[in-house]
Amino acid sequence: MEFKKFLIEKLTLFFMLSTMITAAVYLIGSAYDRDALFGYDALLSPMRYAALCILPTFVTWSRRELSMRELLFRKALMLVLVEGVILYMAFTSPVIDTGRMQVVLTLMGSVLVIFLLVNLFLWLRDLAEAGRMNQDLENFRRLHDEESRE
Amino acid sequence: MDVRIEKIGEKEKEQVLIQCRSVTEEVEEIAAFVKSRQGSLTGVLEGRRFEVAVSDICYIESVDGKTFLYTKEKVYETSSRLYELEEKLRTRHFLRISKSMLISLLKIQSIRPAMGGRFTALLYSGEQIIISRNYVKALKAALKGE
Repeated sequence: MEFKKFLIEKLTLFFMLSTMITAAVYLIGSAYDRDALFGYDALLSPMRYAALCILPTFVTWSRRELSMRELLFRKALMLVLVEGVILYMAFTSPVIDTGRMQVVLTLMGSVLVIFLLVNLFLWLRDLAEAGRMNQDLENFRRLHDEESRE
Repeated sequence: MDVRIEKIGEKEKEQVLIQCRSVTEEVEEIAAFVKSRQGSLTGVLEGRRFEVAVSDICYIESVDGKTFLYTKEKVYETSSRLYELEEKLRTRHFLRISKSMLISLLKIQSIRPAMGGRFTALLYSGEQIIISRNYVKALKAALKGE
């Protein structure tokens, strides 16, 4: 894949992640630290997390097209790296209470859920694309049948 | 090699005649080209040569430098290269869908998403073929008749 195209995909992923991380922070925060107060800086944290989570996704880049097995392996590796990044940020953050195992597990679970959701959204996008192609395929066949009869 | 074109009467049968001292690879290629223009390709199966109708071919694959023609039930080997067939069969609704494969658009029953921006073509023969993401754009354009 062209690197430029790859970067554009990562930019799209960045915005998807920012939105989902914002939702995850809201849910986790509401559950474990409902009364916490933050400054304006906090608004940047989903974007900061998303940007850092994008970095491990570069392991999926390849000039040649990866086989299904290679792609699965690299995606699994990417998930492990993203989990690592998030845990590192959590353990170095003074705001997140990593002393509570429940908080750590919830964070790890959130990463997994976001990973699955992103892949689900990408698959749904491709499903819609396949639907359009099937419609075009039907039109193509109809046109071909008409030409054959003439 | 001289090339001579002769006009014949309405009632006479049209034919391409190659006069040669021996049937070389070049002669076979010319013969195969003429046949392909008429809608068939020469394929070898179990040591025997067959004329495979283009309309019977579901897809064509190149594996380890060899090219194979896949019909619903049989697989023929052909001496033609994939890029040659791509050029020859362009007007017969064959399209490249990966580095090593050409597919007949008329043999695709439906298209489904696969992983990583790829798609799977489900053929009427029941086979499933992966469409490489690099060729998806060309497929979309071909289906739209562009």
